[in-house]
Amino acid sequence: MAGAAHPDAMQPSRPGRTRTARPQRPPQFPFRGRYAAYTLFDITGVLYLLVGFVALRVVWALGNGAAAWHEVQRELTHPSYVAFHVIALISVVFVGVRFFRLFPKAQPPRIGPVKPPPQPVILGFLYAVWIGVAGLMTAILAGGIS
Amino acid sequence: MKHFLLRIEPLVWLLFGQGILIGTILLTGWLIVIGVAAPLGLVAPGALAYERAHALASHWIGRLVLLALIALPLWKGAHHVRSLSLDFGGAARDATLAAILYSVAALGSLLAICAVVRL
Amino acid sequence: MSDQDRKKFVITRFDPDRDDEPRKQTYEVPVEPYWKVLDALNFIKDEIDPTLSHRWSCRMAVCGSCGMLVNGKPSLTCKDALSDYGDTIEVEPLSNFPVIRDLVIDLDGFMEKLHGVRPWIIRAKQRAAEEGTYRQSPEELEQFRQFSMCINCMLCYAACPVVANEPAFIGPAAIALGHRYNLDSRDEGNAERNGIFRGEGTVFSCSYANECSEVCPKHVDPAAAVNQAKINAVIDWAASFVVPRGGGE
Repeated sequence: MAGAAHPDAMQPSRPGRTRTARPQRPPQFPFRGRYAAYTLFDITGVLYLLVGFVALRVVWALGNGAAAWHEVQRELTHPSYVAFHVIALISVVFVGVRFFRLFPKAQPPRIGPVKPPPQPVILGFLYAVWIGVAGLMTAILAGGIS
Repeated sequence: MKHFLLRIEPLVWLLFGQGILIGTILLTGWLIVIGVAAPLGLVAPGALAYERAHALASHWIGRLVLLALIALPLWKGAHHVRSLSLDFGGAARDATLAAILYSVAALGSLLAICAVVRL
Repeated sequence: MSDQDRKKFVITRFDPDRDDEPRKQTYEVPVEPYWKVLDALNFIKDEIDPTLSHRWSCRMAVCGSCGMLVNGKPSLTCKDALSDYGDTIEVEPLSNFPVIRDLVIDLDGFMEKLHGVRPWIIRAKQRAAEEGTYRQSPEELEQFRQFSMCINCMLCYAACPVVANEPAFIGPAAIALGHRYNLDSRDEGNAERNGIFRGEGTVFSCSYANECSEVCPKHVDPAAAVNQAKINAVIDWAASFVVPRGGGE
């Protein structure tokens, strides 16, 4: 057995007439089968927090002037920073793919008078925007487009 | 605290959802260049020189993009760290942890606003 | 019968009068090639050990009674063919539920959650009989039909990691059922149900595991329902600032 679930999981508001055994978690939870990807999805939260604060630091440095900007750029060349950003990039792609798979079916069939487009259209649009915006930002930041 | 968290939950979820959607879309290019390509010297010379970087960032589109890619991932991160805690039996500490995490995300978002305004 | 027609079943047993904790008991069962897991369980009860307790009814995957963990996965035992498994098969009660005895779980908690979403047509004013029946087009039916196919088998609850860790969570099947009524053109209870969806059992506890939809034997896709319900709940929450509501959440 994988381990005990919360002792109150699925408990009725009034106890039954006989003693019950404690609820057990799904056996494959949290690291086996499809739960591995789910747990990883949650773990990317840590990376997103760190990425956000590093980005804050970089932009703050940009606001402090040329010396601070060059200093933070120099810091980012440290191998541990590069490795962190590579892992962050992989996790961002993982999060995007997983979320985009869910997004089309998460749209209600109607919001007021408006119906969403068919699910494959939504999915295609999402990927087009992702690739397009990422490509554009990469080109601009890397100096390909001024 | 629990009741307050329930009342703001739709807003937090919206920010978390945009943290995934918009944050992911914007972070990809940022991480490719600022995180990996530039430190490895793979960008065009002068691409991230101070004058050019500052000009790009202080454009109104640049400010909005930077604000979004700093702040929105913080909400995604905070919500998912809370979810991770709950996955590993943290129901008892949930209200306190959620308050701390969302406060961190809120503080980070405020600092992000300051960071782009002062550019 | 030759040896290759025998399979080993490792079954969780629990007698509240005798056992402190659930334990495992192994049975060797002569099986027929066309059997489902349920056939083996019934054979054990009929021929080997009459004390084994398990729920079952229709034998054709419509009643939802026979949900159990088979080799760790939530399954309908009347649907699972023995030929899909090897020589040793582990059968346990559904995860995330208190266990009354052996493979029988306490489903009163589930019934309460189901009832809690007010799963009936809510009208501001009841329609008089003289006005005739409600009219609903095939397009209007199609909006919610998928979510009405739930057989209350609770496999989704057994698979959901949030159900395991957050006792107040309404859960996949109940949210799907409430959402089914929210989408029904005859219903006027959206505000009431969205208030419930934003309450203590909040739909926002769902964290996109999608396991509920993976295990659903009727392709209801409760994950879609829960996530659609989140969007509707956000719209309802935003609208509540513009149009104040009487009554609490």
